[in-house]
Amino acid sequence: MRGSVSLRVRSAHLQYEQTFHRNITILKGDSASGKTTLVDMIQEYELNGSDTGIILSCNCPCRVLSGNTWKEQLKGMHGSLVFIDEGNRFAASEEFAHEIRRTDNYYVIVTRESLSNLPYSVTEIYGIHSAGKYASQEPVYHHMYRIYGDYDLQNGREPQLSSIKPSIR
Amino acid sequence: MLKIYYGEKEDAIYNTSVYFKFNYNPEWFKDPDIIHMVKDIDNSSVLGNGAIDSPVLGVIAPVTLSGGLKTLILIDKVQDRIFNASNCGDNCAGWLLRISRERDITVNLRHLMDFGPDDFEIMIMNTGDIVHNMDELIPVAGRYV
Repeated sequence: MRGSVSLRVRSAHLQYEQTFHRNITILKGDSASGKTTLVDMIQEYELNGSDTGIILSCNCPCRVLSGNTWKEQLKGMHGSLVFIDEGNRFAASEEFAHEIRRTDNYYVIVTRESLSNLPYSVTEIYGIHSAGKYASQEPVYHHMYRIYGDYDLQNGREPQLSSIKPSIR
Repeated sequence: MLKIYYGEKEDAIYNTSVYFKFNYNPEWFKDPDIIHMVKDIDNSSVLGNGAIDSPVLGVIAPVTLSGGLKTLILIDKVQDRIFNASNCGDNCAGWLLRISRERDITVNLRHLMDFGPDDFEIMIMNTGDIVHNMDELIPVAGRYV
């Protein structure tokens, strides 16, 4: 798979929107910022489709890889956006790095560990910010921001958040 | 004191969410410190029956709390296990230090958690060094993560 992958996923209360530019993206940041909730939404949609009430829009299939049977699961994933939540020990393994080299998927990995076996870019490490009011009628918009990529090394300027788009309805 | 093993530790509980799912005790949510943690980390309220009122997800079971908060609760309540605290964000660091002021706790970290600008006392179990701020911690811990 080449190029960018755009994802928009929305439930009654939450909305995420992000474009992934490279084959490996790392998602990290504070606890309770919504990382696992995003992976849960993807997994629920994968298992139960539109019965979930989740609206998912992406230019490729979205899958979740987890647990000790990851290698078997991976064999059935092609040209997909694959999410891996934290707590999956295999994500840091040499074996995983070796296996994904032979695939054409994009991977979004939730972890705070440095994955020394994987060739990912420092500019593709993201955190999540939320905008909007909880318990309102509008879903809360979750926006990913580059943790390091927007840092201006020459001028020492702090990273700037991209503008937050309005919620879709 | 807070004691930390940095890097790989085979006998540590790595997937803390799964451990929490099958081992949490509803009684834990009567502890005022846990109620405070739930409010501070997840911005949620513990209801009288042990359910959690989340501003994001509505009324939820404890298993739906954030991964970092569940790990923090396990570290506080299960004292004969070592948990992977890399499931906790930096917003949990203050709680790790707070719990460790009341009693010794040992955790496994696979990244450099930011313990903030103030002084603290942390033993790095890999070397036995005791460090007192981030400037002292990073050169020692950085060798293992």
